[in-house]
Amino acid sequence: MKPSPSAIPAACAIPGTPLSNASAGIDACVHCGFCLQACPTYITLEDENDSPRGRIVLMRALVDGSLPLDDADVRTHIDRCLGCRACETACPSGVPYGQLLEATRATLTRMTPNPFLARLVLFVFARQVLLRLAMLGGRITRATRLSWLLSRLPGRAGFAMAMLESTRSAMRRRHYTPTGDGARGSATLLTGCVMEGLFANTNRATERTLVANGYSVVETPQQRCCGALHAHAGDDDTARMLGRANVAAFEQSGADFIAVNAAGCGAMMKEYAHLLSDDPTWRARAAAVASRVRDVSELLAEAGPRSGGALDTTVTYDAPCHLLHAQRIASPPLRMLGAIPGLTVIPLDGSEHCCGSAGIYNLIEPDVSDRVLAPKLANIAATRASLVATGNPGCLMQIGAGLHQTGARCRAVHPVDLLDASYAAQAHAHRTP
Amino acid sequence: MPTDVAQHAAPDLASRLAALVGERRVLARPSELRSYESDGLPGYHARPALAVFPGTRDETIAVVRLLAELDAPFVARGAGTGLSGGALAEGSVLLGLHRLTRILSIDADDARAVVEPGVVNATLSRAAAAFGLHYAPDPSSQTACTIGGNVAENAGGPHCLKYGVTLNHVLAITVLLPSGEVVTLGSADGERDGYDLLGAFIGSEGCFGVALDVTVRLARAPQAVRTLLADFSSVNSAAHAVSSIIASGIIPAAMEMMDGPTIQAVEASIYAAGYPVDAAAILLIELDGAAAGIDDDAARVDAFCRDAGARGVRIAAAPAERARLWQGRKKAFGAMGRIAPNLVVQDAVVPRTKLPAILAEIQRIAELHRVLVCNVFHAGDGNLHPNIGYDATSADETERVHRAMAAIMQACIDAGGTITGEHGIGLDKLPYMDALFTPATLGAMCALREVFDPGRRSNPGKVVPVHSCREWFAAPSARAGGAS
Amino acid sequence: MVRRAIGTRRRCQLNAPPVSDVTAALAERVRHAHVTGTALRITGAGHWLDAGRPCRADASLPLAEHTGIVEYEPGDLTMTVRAGTPLDALRAVARGEGQWLPLDPFGHLGGTIGATIATASSGPLSAAFGTPRDHVLGCEFITGTGNVVRAGGRVVKNVAGFDLVRLVTGAWGTLGVLTEVSIRLRALPEIDRTLALETTAGEARRWLRASAYTPLAAEMISARLATDMGIGSRDTLLLRLGGNRALVHAAAESASALAGSRDVDTTVWDTLRTREPADAAVVRLSTSSSQVAALWDRVASIVERAGGHAHATLQRGIVRCMLPVQSDDAEEHARLRGIVGALLTLGSSVVERLPSSLWAKMVPPAASDALSIGVRRAFDPGHVLNPGILGELA
Ligand SMILES: Cc1cc2nc3c(=O)[nH]c(=O)nc-3n(C[C@H](O)[C@H](O)[C@H](O)COP(=O)(O)OP(=O)(O)OC[C@H]3O[C@@H](n4cnc5c(N)ncnc54)[C@H](O)[C@@H]3O)c2cc1C
Ligand code: SF4
Ligand code: SF4
Repeated sequence: MKPSPSAIPAACAIPGTPLSNASAGIDACVHCGFCLQACPTYITLEDENDSPRGRIVLMRALVDGSLPLDDADVRTHIDRCLGCRACETACPSGVPYGQLLEATRATLTRMTPNPFLARLVLFVFARQVLLRLAMLGGRITRATRLSWLLSRLPGRAGFAMAMLESTRSAMRRRHYTPTGDGARGSATLLTGCVMEGLFANTNRATERTLVANGYSVVETPQQRCCGALHAHAGDDDTARMLGRANVAAFEQSGADFIAVNAAGCGAMMKEYAHLLSDDPTWRARAAAVASRVRDVSELLAEAGPRSGGALDTTVTYDAPCHLLHAQRIASPPLRMLGAIPGLTVIPLDGSEHCCGSAGIYNLIEPDVSDRVLAPKLANIAATRASLVATGNPGCLMQIGAGLHQTGARCRAVHPVDLLDASYAAQAHAHRTP
Repeated sequence: MPTDVAQHAAPDLASRLAALVGERRVLARPSELRSYESDGLPGYHARPALAVFPGTRDETIAVVRLLAELDAPFVARGAGTGLSGGALAEGSVLLGLHRLTRILSIDADDARAVVEPGVVNATLSRAAAAFGLHYAPDPSSQTACTIGGNVAENAGGPHCLKYGVTLNHVLAITVLLPSGEVVTLGSADGERDGYDLLGAFIGSEGCFGVALDVTVRLARAPQAVRTLLADFSSVNSAAHAVSSIIASGIIPAAMEMMDGPTIQAVEASIYAAGYPVDAAAILLIELDGAAAGIDDDAARVDAFCRDAGARGVRIAAAPAERARLWQGRKKAFGAMGRIAPNLVVQDAVVPRTKLPAILAEIQRIAELHRVLVCNVFHAGDGNLHPNIGYDATSADETERVHRAMAAIMQACIDAGGTITGEHGIGLDKLPYMDALFTPATLGAMCALREVFDPGRRSNPGKVVPVHSCREWFAAPSARAGGAS
Repeated sequence: MVRRAIGTRRRCQLNAPPVSDVTAALAERVRHAHVTGTALRITGAGHWLDAGRPCRADASLPLAEHTGIVEYEPGDLTMTVRAGTPLDALRAVARGEGQWLPLDPFGHLGGTIGATIATASSGPLSAAFGTPRDHVLGCEFITGTGNVVRAGGRVVKNVAGFDLVRLVTGAWGTLGVLTEVSIRLRALPEIDRTLALETTAGEARRWLRASAYTPLAAEMISARLATDMGIGSRDTLLLRLGGNRALVHAAAESASALAGSRDVDTTVWDTLRTREPADAAVVRLSTSSSQVAALWDRVASIVERAGGHAHATLQRGIVRCMLPVQSDDAEEHARLRGIVGALLTLGSSVVERLPSSLWAKMVPPAASDALSIGVRRAFDPGHVLNPGILGELA
């Protein structure tokens, strides 16, 4: 078997598809394998087809036509990708994996639509009225403790209820009114679908902590869902529609910064220019808006953050993938925790690995999602911390549900809630010396 | 030589394998096998007949025994980061060992560990760190490559200059011979008389059987470390600095060179290390050991660099800064992906006094063939890694690149060097073997292989050109029918 | 079919120097021996090959005349020499360039490099520098059929092809007659200082394990041997420290915390190498380094009571026991048999020397597994090279 030269197929077999436009990113992959150990699905499933390197090989095969767009294996392995983008952080060659994945999914869903459940979720999130209704339903279920009851059900339904149950606030709320001089500029909050629907307290806490750290907070009423779920699932038309709506809305708000407390949404908004790159005017407008987007931890860390009152508890930190890998934000959340006196922060093994939430992934690929979650829960348990902090609703619910179902005492909490509780403690300490 | 398993093995091979390891762990459809057509050397593709991924030692033994029974060829594969096409399994059964990831024991007192072959190099070091130990051989691919693959390639790395390569750190290996028999080579506790079959197995590139578990020596973390970054305005003066440091008797833990184009690629990547982007070459030199005297050595190395014409030398002692300097070096090859869509990398070694001359010669060859050669390599060992980025869709450029590579290899051989220092022969360097070894030597290698693998079923067609085996086992009938 | 993006269609040229006349003549002799079935005993300087190892030879193949340096490029720290070159001659040449081959096998200082490598012999310096397998870069050898093989190379890092170099290193000539070797040299340390410390093996090992310093050698010397060598009267650690001034000074300070230390001349190492009578019985016991102190404690006293001495390379877990052979009679052999037999039960063992009548009775064949037999058959199918020397049959 003497090696023989062969021509690399130069022609693209699928011209005009999103994937063909992304093929320069595929070419950047040198097949070095450095991403393998970073990939949760590879670690879990132990097959390179479920690794970044393998998926890129499959993408290349689609582009050069050696595998057809409706190949079932390709679809399976692309579907199983969490989109956590840990592979991007590991890649020395700068392969824009997240973009490749979205382009692939957009290309594949044209051939074979997503499963019904996924389409239903995406449909709801794209429509404000339905979305509000769904969130209301969620809150009622939670308030009536129906979710607590149903979280014992086996399977996905039970897990979904456990997720809902876990959105119950982990921190005791105490009222205080933050004071600040607004000298750091104005910020407006992306309220977010799930955040405002199920974590409204965290949104308020975000506003308070921003004020306490010298930002003035303004509202942006016309904002919509950021479109991340749609982009990740290959529904790029809807994602673009939502993106344009948000660009317009945030242009109006005029705030210096667009503060985001959901890592997935922040990552999406920072990439609006790429999302809307098919249209030059929108592209420029999107780039301007995207340049103002900050994760809330960035804004707070920039300001110190100001230290608060003591919280006598233990916490460990789990990095949301879309914060660490997509936005490359590692230390700001830890600086938030560091600003809280009395709080013991215990390092979490494998904090950089995905928890398996990944947007609607846990609904579509429950098995893999569970298997990715299991080591995360074990590592959290090993820290013996009372709280696990993470700044993304999906992760809060995924980890929260896992903790709930395994009967762990540890609760998931947004770092902003902790800082807010610390400020509240300080305010109350002043009142009752 | 059997090259297509389908012709030799039973048609129900896939289901018989599945019965041993489970349905999900046998891949047979072409679309699933696609991801296993290449290793870390991009540009080579060969489709395995099947892929099988045992999850335990016993499953591995059962699989290999079944393959032996059916006379089917197979190729072991670790992480597939090899740079010589060694894990390509054309028409063979690809035996993926990446699921055998247990660290069986770490013995802190004796400073050694027993690991399964699929354990990733860096994972072992991380586990050993709890005992103040680490596994010294540190290939740049250490975050991905497996100990099994390291053993098979006798992998080296930047720190092998002082600490030695894989061979110097492996005490014993349990080997699953291609026949299915299990033997222990070497000894973990004490010497044994007899042939150094362990030494012969290390670096045998998967042709002698499968490493089932490996007992390695662990090293203690040094008391003090200094990392020097010397910045040169010419490659030649950097090469001279290397020669004078080596001759001085100071043995740096590592001494790596990167030239201008490489520096620029790294600095453009997310592993930007703060290298001077206008330098023609940098040397990354690490000294380690006891704290006493280390600064004296650092001062001498500094002086050698400046005497050779360094524009500046920076000494980093803080762990974070050192880590950053090393990160850039270790990810340099990957960062080349930014330069061009395709990449070839060689691994030749020259005597260290020949470094200045060979680097000049490589430059000359590059200019002659109008290609861009990037050099990032283990300078202290004289182990070159010329990389050429190119666009494979251009037939003309491809042709020029391969002429340049052949010329570089010949230059290294002529300088008294060798064609591979750590990546192995695999498939990629097979054509150069005749230029390096006499027919009798190649024949002797075949003879050795035949002892371990009489059927030549384990990684067939690699390392030694087939014709040299025929010559050694010069049966006239075999000669007559020798077409390949 | 393998698809590849780039290939080498143009062959490179073989650029090997021609085989020397001497090698060619030796190869011819071996080929003849193979054809005629004449068993050959390969000899170097002949200082201690007659170590009692059985060898059924019809003729001898001497290499002592095959001496000289083929190539020495000090800047590369590599040297290629003919196999018959004595170690002391090699040492003198290297020293002229401020370099050395840190390999110090026991026995005559003029033993040949070929024999040292063929027998994988090493001494105290192996603690820091390893054994011959770690020093040899390449070699030329003649197989049992008279083929001249050139394995490895002259560069310090090399993985081209299967490792025939490691295979013939320590093979006692049974796979090939070594004719030329390329070795890796080191620069002589700026300071080379030796200390004698009266301490126990346990203490010494604890210090070594915890210490930030890596001595060039750390050899435990039993009381009788220490007395013999004039370095003390009790169990003594000989510590060889190398490096720059500051390092050696700090290491010596640290070691003297272990026990009162005394500087001794570096020639003490040559004394140690040549201390034992050529006809003594020598057994090397070995264990993991954590067990070496316990092994020492058990072994040293047995050996000293029997009139011998012991020394140990602690980091490598090796205790080397020397037992003088008073006479060649049955009674003495029975005594030896008792002691050696007791020693052999204590750990992994390699018998270096033993009266030949005892050898076959006490030493199990070394290359008796199927792979070893296969290797031997592949390289010396006629069993003409040192037949029987590894205790093997046929
Ligand atoms: C970016 C990059 C940098 C690199 N840097 C270095 C470096 O600095 N130094 C260096 O030495 N190498 C380096 N390499 C090469 C490569 O990482 C090493 O050769 C490594 O040892 C291969 O390990 P693997 O697990 O990926 O083996 P694979 O590529 O899977 O296999 C390599 C060979 O080993 C055999 N094999 C694998 N496992 C076993 C087993 N258990 N038993 C028997 N045979 C087996 C295979 O059959 C094959 O022939 C680099 C590679 C890349 C991509
Ligand atoms: S995005 Fe995450 S799951 Fe997907 S390939 Fe990358 S690392 Fe793996
Ligand atoms: S790390 Fe990057 S270049 Fe390497 S295989 Fe993964 S995606 Fe490709």
